[in-house]
Amino acid sequence: MATLIEHSSILIIAVPLLIAFLTPLIGMASKKARNSVVVVGLAFVAFLVFALARDVILNGIHIYTLGATSPSLAIPEGTMVPVRIILEVDGVSVFMGIIVAIVSLVAVIYSLSAMKGETGQNRFYTLLLLMVAGTFGMVFTGDLFNLFVFLEITSISGAALIAFRTKFADSQEGGFKYIVVSAIASLMVLFAISLLYSQYNLLNIGALAAAMQYTMLDRIALVILIAAFAMKLGGVPMHMWISDTYSVAPVSITVLLITASQASMYALMRICFILYGVTLDLAVVGWIVIAIGILGMFIGVTMAVRQTDITRLIAYNCVCEAGFMLIGLGVGLAVLGDRTDLGTFGTTAINGAIFHMINHALFEGLLFLVAGAIFYRIGTRDLNQMGGLGHTMKFTAGFFLLGALASSGLPPFNGFASKILIYESVYQFNPILTIIGILVSIITLAVFVKAFFSAFTGALLPKYEDIKEVPKTMIAAMTIFAVIIIIFGLFPGLILDWIVRPATDALVDQASYINAIMGAIP
Amino acid sequence: MTSIVESGYEFWNPIIWLIALAVLSVIIYFFRKRGEAKYKKGEDQAQIFLCGEEVPSAEKRQVRGGNAYWGFFETLKEYYDGIVRLHTGVVNDYVVWFVAVTAISAIILLIAELVG
Repeated sequence: MATLIEHSSILIIAVPLLIAFLTPLIGMASKKARNSVVVVGLAFVAFLVFALARDVILNGIHIYTLGATSPSLAIPEGTMVPVRIILEVDGVSVFMGIIVAIVSLVAVIYSLSAMKGETGQNRFYTLLLLMVAGTFGMVFTGDLFNLFVFLEITSISGAALIAFRTKFADSQEGGFKYIVVSAIASLMVLFAISLLYSQYNLLNIGALAAAMQYTMLDRIALVILIAAFAMKLGGVPMHMWISDTYSVAPVSITVLLITASQASMYALMRICFILYGVTLDLAVVGWIVIAIGILGMFIGVTMAVRQTDITRLIAYNCVCEAGFMLIGLGVGLAVLGDRTDLGTFGTTAINGAIFHMINHALFEGLLFLVAGAIFYRIGTRDLNQMGGLGHTMKFTAGFFLLGALASSGLPPFNGFASKILIYESVYQFNPILTIIGILVSIITLAVFVKAFFSAFTGALLPKYEDIKEVPKTMIAAMTIFAVIIIIFGLFPGLILDWIVRPATDALVDQASYINAIMGAIP
Repeated sequence: MTSIVESGYEFWNPIIWLIALAVLSVIIYFFRKRGEAKYKKGEDQAQIFLCGEEVPSAEKRQVRGGNAYWGFFETLKEYYDGIVRLHTGVVNDYVVWFVAVTAISAIILLIAELVG
């Protein structure tokens, strides 16, 4: 077991990558065998993620150096800087890993039935696993160049998956938009990395953080990195691709796209808190992040409420929820240099934002799966065409209600627990932010009242009288999300203590991240 | 207690909230039981009454999603006209927004540097 945990960080990336390339071969022999290998493979990866999370929380940062005589040997003898590919897994990384592990496993279980009638399933699972490997790589890597590489893997496979159902024209358009936006973001990230590399001859995040001078070139790199990752996470006003892509991809892919966007938010956090840390103009950069967050909340929710396409409605709600996270992180960043404010409300704001990340993945994931279930049965996403589906799709209706209440931040669900942390901590920084947040939550409730009312209530429309509940594997996938939402809602203190606070502690502790790498100089 | 979340201001405990909800539900149920019990399922009493007019079919009487919150959208018509116009759906515009955000952020950081 110790050996498995020692190599777990690389295995978590390598296993999906290996299965991705095996999938077409196994699929040619047997579809059932292929599906089993994909599900078992991702379940094994999830097991590794939880084992690694336990190890990181108990024993501290996990270093894995590829090609070294010992995985923990970050800096080769005779050199003063890390030169190999290094995975550096701390509390934030494993937190993100947990999100990716849960969501990817649920996405695959859902896909077993949802994608049954589609052609090219071997390629579908290959691309899905590549996307999962890319997302794990983004959150585990310890150097900037590999962050770019994994960002590219995630983006390219994501674009192919969005456009996977070639029979729909809007899917192709969505895939095209995603690859254009992703390519520009990735290239700008690469450009920013080159600016840093040209000055410091370093790519490792910890080593760069130790050497950071915050020169004019560093500032330019920072601005480019913030803008690029803000676009990838759907920050307003660069959010417009979200509704165009989330709404047209197969929903099992949309839930993975949410995790990919969250991996970009993770990258933004890693850059601001660890790479630059206290060298930043903290108040200025914090307020830039807060401004993107406020715009996201307000524009996201007001655009969501006017949508009649259920998946676009949820997609705009994702933009809104990302705004909540950015506000929490922005406030944490703004007070990072002030130990008093950080202790009084800064860490609580970051706790709220980080807790909201996993909650967001769960309830938005559930809502998208429900939207997919409706499309699976009635073949439309248009709320104007729906009505009375709650009569025949009782489980699906129940899941939608649960996701909607959690997303709206109503007690006792998980969305409330994370939002109350954000509201109360942000209030101490600037009360107006909390007022906007509460107003946005009220409109969010109105968004989902409209969607639930239109789709599930009222008299059953005659054309849907023969509609049945979706297959059991789709119900099972939605049930996993629903159960976790309920557990997180009833025991938020447990989740905070186990995975959220370690993530926040890792994020505000730049010295430990640097020392984990640079402390290993022979 | 693993249910408690402390925000620094106060605390949130979903278990206490659920207990309060359960007590409230019992009280509501108590009052509901004291009401009239004349309702008979499946009879004319349960049918829709529309001032004696013929009741439209389910499809015609369903309030569609697009009709919800009409007053809200009318009140905010100018805001929505503006905001919807910005959502062009053209990918070139998405890139322009990226350039604009990068430029504005750079200017803000530069001014902060000069002022600071």
